[in-house]
Order: sequence, then C-alpha cells, then structure tokens
Amino acid sequence: MLEVKGLSKDFGGLHVIRDLSLSVTAGERRVILGPNGAGKTTLFHLLAGTLKPSKGEIFLDGQPIKAFDAVKRARLGIARSYQKNNLFETLTIRENLMLAAAAALGKSTHMVKDSSRHPDIRQRIDEIAEQVSLADQLDQTVGTASYGNRRQLEVGLALATRPKLLLMDEPTSGVGPTMIDRFHRLLEQLPRDITVLIIEHDMDLAFGVADRITVLNFGEKVFEGTPEDTRGNATVRDIYLGTGGYHA
Amino acid sequence: MFYQTKFRSITLIAALIFLASYASFGSYFAREIVVEIIILAILAISLDLCAGFGGMVSLCHGAIMGVAAYAFAIMSAKLGWPLFPSALIGLLAAVVVSGLVGWVTARTNGIFFIMATLAFGQMAYTFFFKSRWLGGDDGMGGISRFDLSAIGLEMNNSLTFTYLGLGVLLLAYGLTAMVMRSGFGRTLSGIHVNEDRMKALGVNTAAHRAKAMAFSGFIAGLAGLIAAQHTLYISPELLIWTTSGEALIVVILGGLGTLVGPVIGAILLILMKHEISDYTDYWHAFIGLVLIFTVLAGGRGVFGQIEYWLNSLRSRHHDTDNHQTAGKPQGGDHA
Amino acid sequence: MDLSFWILQFLNAMQYSMLLFLLSIGLTVIFGLLHFVNLAHASLYMMGAYIGISVAALTGSFWAAFFLAPVIVTLIGAMLYFTLIDRMRTAGPMNQVLVTFGLIFIFLDLVRMGWGDIALGLDGPQSLSGTTRFLGVDYPAYRLFIIALGLGVMTTMWFILSRTQIGVMIRASVENTNMAAAMGINVSTLFFLVFCFGCALAGLAGVAAAPILSATTTMGITILIPTLIVVVIGGLGSLEGAIAGSIIIGFMETFGAVMIPSFSAVLTYVLLAVVLIWRPQGLIPARG
Repeated sequence: MLEVKGLSKDFGGLHVIRDLSLSVTAGERRVILGPNGAGKTTLFHLLAGTLKPSKGEIFLDGQPIKAFDAVKRARLGIARSYQKNNLFETLTIRENLMLAAAAALGKSTHMVKDSSRHPDIRQRIDEIAEQVSLADQLDQTVGTASYGNRRQLEVGLALATRPKLLLMDEPTSGVGPTMIDRFHRLLEQLPRDITVLIIEHDMDLAFGVADRITVLNFGEKVFEGTPEDTRGNATVRDIYLGTGGYHA
Repeated sequence: MFYQTKFRSITLIAALIFLASYASFGSYFAREIVVEIIILAILAISLDLCAGFGGMVSLCHGAIMGVAAYAFAIMSAKLGWPLFPSALIGLLAAVVVSGLVGWVTARTNGIFFIMATLAFGQMAYTFFFKSRWLGGDDGMGGISRFDLSAIGLEMNNSLTFTYLGLGVLLLAYGLTAMVMRSGFGRTLSGIHVNEDRMKALGVNTAAHRAKAMAFSGFIAGLAGLIAAQHTLYISPELLIWTTSGEALIVVILGGLGTLVGPVIGAILLILMKHEISDYTDYWHAFIGLVLIFTVLAGGRGVFGQIEYWLNSLRSRHHDTDNHQTAGKPQGGDHA
Repeated sequence: MDLSFWILQFLNAMQYSMLLFLLSIGLTVIFGLLHFVNLAHASLYMMGAYIGISVAALTGSFWAAFFLAPVIVTLIGAMLYFTLIDRMRTAGPMNQVLVTFGLIFIFLDLVRMGWGDIALGLDGPQSLSGTTRFLGVDYPAYRLFIIALGLGVMTTMWFILSRTQIGVMIRASVENTNMAAAMGINVSTLFFLVFCFGCALAGLAGVAAAPILSATTTMGITILIPTLIVVVIGGLGSLEGAIAGSIIIGFMETFGAVMIPSFSAVLTYVLLAVVLIWRPQGLIPARG
C-alpha cells in the first residue's frame, strides 16, 4: 500500500533521514519507534508532502507521489494528526470537524448551501465526534477546550477525511491513562481499510496495537519486526528501551 | 465563521428601513446621502468578505470598484454597447482583475498582502489617471441611465433610484451571506485561522483565496455600477487607495467579519461626515480619531461590540440555567 | 540627446533615489525591529517640511531649519511611540495599518490648521543657490547637496550597523528579538531609539525636500506609495534592500519618464508585481 525506497533528507549536511525503505501493507497498523531526533516526525513530513525528500521514492498504491504537494497527497487519501496540536483555535469543535468533513466530501468549494446544515456533513461530524468521544463538547471553542479534548480533536480532524493512510504523530502525548485506554479502543475499532502509521512513545499502546514495528535511530532503520521480535531484540533494547526515558 | 443570526437579520432590516425612510421623507440631498451610503456599504461588504473572513486586508477594493465602473462606461459610452451587456462586462472585469490580484498575492500574507494590494490598486489608479482616451484625471462622462420604464421604474427619479440602490444593497448582502455560510465561505474562514491545517485537509488554499477575491470583486463591481449610474460620470478618484482605506474604516467601525457591521459602519461614517462638515473643515482629523479609538477599544466596532455584549449576556444566562443549547452557535466575531 | 542630457538624468535619478532612501531606511529598519508598519512615516516627512518652513521663517536661517526640524519631528515621533506605536506592536498588521491610517488623516488636518491649504516654498541656503559645474554639466548645487546628504547617511548607517556595538545589537535584534533580550540587550530601549532615529531621518528628508518640491498637504501621501514599494522590493527590514530598492525605483521612475513616458507610470507597479511573484521576501531580505 505504501512503499518507500531509499528515502533521504538532509538539512544543510545534517542527515535526518538516511536511505530509508519501508513497505506497509494495506490495513496494517505500523508503529514507528525511536528516540528523540531519530527522524520520525521528519519521515511523516516527507510522507505527507510538507517536506521534499533529498533522495528516494514514495509510492502510494503503486503510484509515485514524490512530485505531489501536501494538498494533492491529502486528496489521494493521506491524512495526518500532529504531535503538537494544529487546530482551528478560534473555532468550535463542531466547526473544526465541519471544515474537515466539507473538505473530504468535496463541499469546500460549494457556494450556495449552508454547510452547517448539510445532512452529509452533519452526519460525518456526528460519526467522528462519537468515534473520538467529543459528542458532548461539540459547541466548545477549541481555544478554551481541555488539552485532552484537543488531542482527541487532533485525531478527529484526520479521521474526518476518511483517509486511506493515516499518519498519527504521538496521538497520546501528554494525556492520562484513561485517555490512552480510550485511544487504544478507538484504534481497535478503526476499520481495516485504513492503513495506520503511528509514532508512539507509550510502549504498552505500541505493542498492543502494532502489527509490525519499525525502529529508527539517527535517521536510519535499525530494526523491523513483529511486537514480539521487537521486545526480544537486543539492539532495540540498547538504543531505545535502554534509555529508560519512557513508560515501558 | 458566519451565521445569519436573528439579531443580524433584524439589524439589517432596521437599517434598510431607516435608509428608505430617510430617503423618502428627506430632501433630494438626503437621497444623495443615502446613495452614497449604499455605494460605500456594498464596497465594505465586499471588503469584509476578504478581510473579515479571509484575513485578506485589501487596499485595492476601491480600484476594483473603479475598474467595474470604467469597464461599464467604456463599453456603453465609448463603444456604444447597450447598457445591460455593458454592465455585465463591468462586473466581469471586476471579477477578473480581483481574481488576478488574488492569484498573484495568494502566497503573501499579513503586511505583504496589504502592500501588494495597495500597489496593484495604485497601478489601476495611475492607469486611468494617465489615460487620455478615458479623460485622465478629469474623468469621463456621457454615461446614460438604465431605462427601466418597461417595468414601470423611472430611474431619473431620485427616490426610485435610491430604492433600487437599496435593492442592490440587499442583493449584495444576501449573496455574500449565502456564500459565507456555504462550504466555500466556511473554508475561507478556516484558511484564515490555520492555512497549514487546511492544506493538510486537502484544500488548495491559494486557489481558494483567489476565488474569494474574485467573488468579492463581483460585489465591489455592483458598487461601481451604482456609482457610475448615480452621477453618470466617473473619475479616477474612485480607484485611489484612500477610497479603499475609507471602506476599511467602515468595516472596522461597524464590525469586522459580521457583514451587517459594514452596513452600519457606512451609515455612521457618511452621516457623521455630513453632520460634522457643517461645523468644521477638519473632518479628516475627526475620522482619524474615531478610527484610532475604535481600534484601541478592542477593534470590534459598533455592531460587533453590541453583538459581543449580547452573546456574553446570553451565555451567562445559559450558565446560570445550566442549560446547554445543542443548536447553532450564536457568535461570529472570531472568524 | 547628448551625453550631458543623460548625465543630467542620472543626477536627477540619484537625487530622487536619495530622498526615497532617507524615507525608506527608517520605515524598513522600524519594521525589521518592531514588526510595525508605520504608514504615518510619510506624514512625519510632511511635518519635517512644514516645521522647517516655520523655523526658517522665525530664524531667517535655512540651516537652523535643517537641524531643528528633524529634532522636532523626532519629538513628535517619541510622543506617538509612547501613546500608540508601542501598544500596537503586537496588534497585527491590519490594526497597525488602521491606526497609522488614522494618523495620516490627523496630520493632514493638523497641517491644514497650522499652515493652510496652499503650497508653501522654502528658500534653500544662499551658499547652495545657483548651479555648479559637475561631471561636465551645470547642475543645481542644492540638488547635489541632497545627493551628498543621502550618500553620507547611507555610509554612516552602514558604518553604524556593521562596525559599532549598537549596530551589532540592532542586527541581533532584527534576527531574533528573544535571543537578543536573553543576551542582555535592552530591547525596548533599542526599539525606542531606532524608532526615533527613523523619525529624525523622515523629518530630515522633509526639510531637505522642501526647497525642491515645496510643501503641500498631499506631499506625504504622494511619497508614501513609492517608499512602500522600495521597502517591499528591497526586503522588509533590510538596509541593503532599502539602498537597492531606492536606487532601482529612483532610476526607473526618472529614466522611465524620459524614455517610455506612456508606460512609465505603471512600470514600478509591474516591477513590484514581478518581485512579489518571483521573490515575495524581497530582493535582499533581512535575515531572521
């Protein structure tokens, strides 16, 4: 579904991603692990089109997409949730979801009908709000919403476009255990026609949801395998678990 | 995001009734004032669409209005076309020029956008100012009035003309309100709040902004047509950047991003202008002080401030009742 | 058209460029440092001309006007800084444009109240009256003085910015205000000083221009647009950009009017459009 071949990115001589190849099958849940500065978020930028790779190729369903900008890739079905909340701060949660739903349903260029009353858009908003547990907070302004609700909305905006490929950058960063549980359930209930890449620091969650795990270090892939293999791998333990900075 | 709330509808209707009665009970001079208000209000609605919802603070809207007026005058008075197709060409010219400016400036933001639109507006102004064929700085006359006697309207009657102008104002408001409530308008607000996220949702934000400018050009073009029909004479003064500045003052005075605010702002500004001119020569200093005061007072404008008070009263009421409305949000002063 | 004609045009272009430079350098450095676009900058230029005329009338000396007008304009600027500019710094470009637009209106009427609606002239100094032989042509001595003045300010600015302690502080603050503050630079004092300096140059440009252009109520608005174009073309906040922009616009307008009169009026706007599409950050953008 997603093929990455020989991907590299340098910023003025600094190699952030080095000769990275990935193959993700349709419907897979792939967790990307790695210490800070390993190039995980840069990888997502390269996949989403917000950064141009220095070298390498990216294929989505066999189609080369390297030349496409972020807008075109989003239209091809790549959606993304951000590590740092990147929301429409002055609007309500409902309006946030409305924008995403209108874009996904091709209504963002319609000039006649009130989009806040459009049945398809309303239905999509309700579905997503249910999915990310925001149904009771819809009329709250994002700027005044709780941190947890904003994290939920961050994922909600990405889901509202009904993507083929969902890139989630530390969706549970900074939230408590109940929210992590809730998010775990959300992931389990996501239909398998969505392929998911997650950058995750929470080990329990990572091992719980992943079909396969890719470990990055200094921009290079140092390991790839099932959660069981990863747990037992010495290199991974050294560079990642050994640092002891995270939950596991 | 825009919502046509009850309060906005009531205020708009009240404003239109006020203008209609001011025109019908007042003298010929009162009707002149009302037409002046109508032109400025339509221009300000067009600018509010860009600045209030899209965050595109344009200083070329006067020029776009002028382009419509000149294109209309060229087609009808210079080339002898019938009035109706000439008017359509006028509107089309405004849409094209405005869309082009939007397209060229799509990658610029903030102060760069302001300066770029200022320069493009002055470019159009200079063009007409220097054009000898179009009368240069003397402007051009010879425009004839629409003949609507077939449907029983005598356009040379100042009261009929004023009523018709009010009709066009209502049309301009209605069209803009419709578009601002649509997926297109709400997406424009979204781009203003967070352009990067809107791109990530698959919206071509540059094209969207250019389209918004083009639509806004259509509305500004309506103001240009009324201006040309009103005096049957046009001059480059229509296009000069201070005309756009005056429209921006009206928008901020009435309430940015409310659409009704600009109508209220235009009424206030023009009435104040005529009242104060009776007492002093220094009308500009007065409007400068009003403008600075409006910005320092929070920048919500007269209508925006009243709406803000009403909304906070209402939400306090809701809080004490512990009664959550699941319906549409009432406010709209954010984006 | 012989060589002396072109030398004459060259000198005219230089003189106009230097006037644009004196105005745009203040505007651009204030923007680079304070992130504030002061549309009323050109009103201060107008005030410089009118105040200069009054000082000259009172003292009978051009040089008294030449030195006092910038000082008085700086005082006006300082008042503006403490009443409006400082609190508008974080208010966003639209509010800044609106407030300074309001100031333009107020200054316009202040001038009409104080000096009336008619154009006023100012006699240049006796020592610079008449023409001087320069590069083989007879050229008004006073205009040569303006060229020298502009080049002098340019050199001084370059020296201050590249060779002095305060120059280092200004450059550091343009690049990263927070970092500069963390390094112990008193940023707010620096802002104030730079703003005052920009106002002084605007006042200086006004009084220097008065003998050539004569003072009118529209002189501020007339020069505002080319000054803004200089700043945008050069790159907001950049000294080198202001120099390059002033010279480009000064020469383009002067030679355009001679060589392609029918098209020259829109030429600068076309150039601006090209720059905005091709290099929206300006030709020589400031770093940071």
